[in-house]
Amino acid sequence: MNLVRDVLDKKLIDREDCCMGRVSGLVMHVSESAPPSVTHILVGGPTLWMRVHPFLGRLSKRLATIWGPKRNEPVKIPWSRVETVGRDVKLDVKGKDTGALDWEIWVAQHIIERIPGGGSEEEE
Amino acid sequence: MKKILQLALGVITSVGGFLEIGSVTTAAQAGAQFGYQLLWAILLGTLCLIFLIEMSGRLSAVSKHTIVDAMRERFGFPFFFIVLVGMVIIAFMVLVAELGGIGFGLQILTGVAFPWWAIPVSFVVWLLMWKGSFSLIENGASLLGLVTISFIVSAFKLHPDWSGVASGLVPSIPETDKARHGFLAVSILGASISPYLMYFYSSGAIEDKWDRSYIPINRFIAGFGMTFGGVLSMGVLVVAALALQPKGIQVETFPQAALLMTTALPRWGFYLFAASMIVACFGAALEISLAIAYFFAQGFGWNWSEDLEPSKNSRFAFVYTIIILLAAIPLLLGVDPIKVTMMSMALTSATLPLAIVPFLFLMNDPIYLGKYRNGWISNSVVAVIILISFVLALISIPLQIMGG
Repeated sequence: MNLVRDVLDKKLIDREDCCMGRVSGLVMHVSESAPPSVTHILVGGPTLWMRVHPFLGRLSKRLATIWGPKRNEPVKIPWSRVETVGRDVKLDVKGKDTGALDWEIWVAQHIIERIPGGGSEEEE
Repeated sequence: MKKILQLALGVITSVGGFLEIGSVTTAAQAGAQFGYQLLWAILLGTLCLIFLIEMSGRLSAVSKHTIVDAMRERFGFPFFFIVLVGMVIIAFMVLVAELGGIGFGLQILTGVAFPWWAIPVSFVVWLLMWKGSFSLIENGASLLGLVTISFIVSAFKLHPDWSGVASGLVPSIPETDKARHGFLAVSILGASISPYLMYFYSSGAIEDKWDRSYIPINRFIAGFGMTFGGVLSMGVLVVAALALQPKGIQVETFPQAALLMTTALPRWGFYLFAASMIVACFGAALEISLAIAYFFAQGFGWNWSEDLEPSKNSRFAFVYTIIILLAAIPLLLGVDPIKVTMMSMALTSATLPLAIVPFLFLMNDPIYLGKYRNGWISNSVVAVIILISFVLALISIPLQIMGG
């Protein structure tokens, strides 16, 4: 597998076929005894903006702590949860439990549901 | 039968390309000033769009991924970000112009000036997206769009000189006003070959759940839809050449464009023109607002579908809500939509390579398209379009200054 070509920027799909965002970055474990291996998928703004410019990465990190769902740590999904890697990356997780959908839920609860006809994010 | 109804997607896409305020204004200006001489630019724009739209639909039908999905995945986030910024600025300007176009239509019907219409019009556009489904938008807009056929009726009623029309389909260089001629040619191409049409169409194909079995019909929809728009746009030009050029009327302002149909249809022309503009700009406004929201949602991997309740794809709904709200502001301040549209067309031309070049790579990617990737004919056509787009990019800004 070619990590940059086949995994980075691919869409993450959860157990219920819900889009959870895209792969923003990857975490590798490097040790002397074992060959390097990918341990986690990173999702979220700071990781993503860091790829455009470190300044934007820091800015995004600071904004994330004062506004919105206020998450201090990037969302990390263990590689062991990856089911298949094709055109999308399918995961054996429930999107809402990972934190990757925090912003989606925040926007729904704080803005969209308050406008008449917006519906409710929680109903099935 | 169900597949044939998908023609609506082709028609609404093409309304956004050929009949929105920018295209109608440039076609009318071209006809009023240069007679049939600039028909070739519309023909060229139509041919380019047929190919680009067919490819956009094919990519979605085969890969279940839109152009934006594939662009982010193949070229990475930093490149996607550059295209995002360019696309959003230009599409926003076009949206302002379309909302203004609806306001202008209402102004000539009621006499109430267009800034007053900014809020009601934006609200109706937003409401339709908030409550409506994708099929309501595509079928509604394309059905109402049929009123624009009145441009063709007007053209026929004025008995054009057909050999003159035919010679206009071949490019020529005028003896005077070369810069103005060039500027209008670039504007016509910039108004028709807009990347947001491709983004919208490829998203529409996913909304309508296309699969590989749609590949043949997609060809027909792209061909029919774009030809429909292109012929109507030529109708506008011909009418302007026959009704406005002899009287020496130049289309500088929108009320002058309203005189287009009155020569051919004295009683109804005025109202038909207003209705055509309202309907076409309305369809285009929906198409652009959706295209912007699709662009964000697909690029960042959010949930998106015009058929879901807003809270089920909250970030997607949030983007179109904000963008429509912001677009009403310049209109309230009385910014002239015609000026905005002229600027947006030059900018579209200037940034066209940014959208078309990566598209050529995607259409040759076996991971997305397998055996359905471009053959040599399609690739040659895209290569020619890329060449045109680079020429347009280089000359659009200087021509805007000299001839605009």
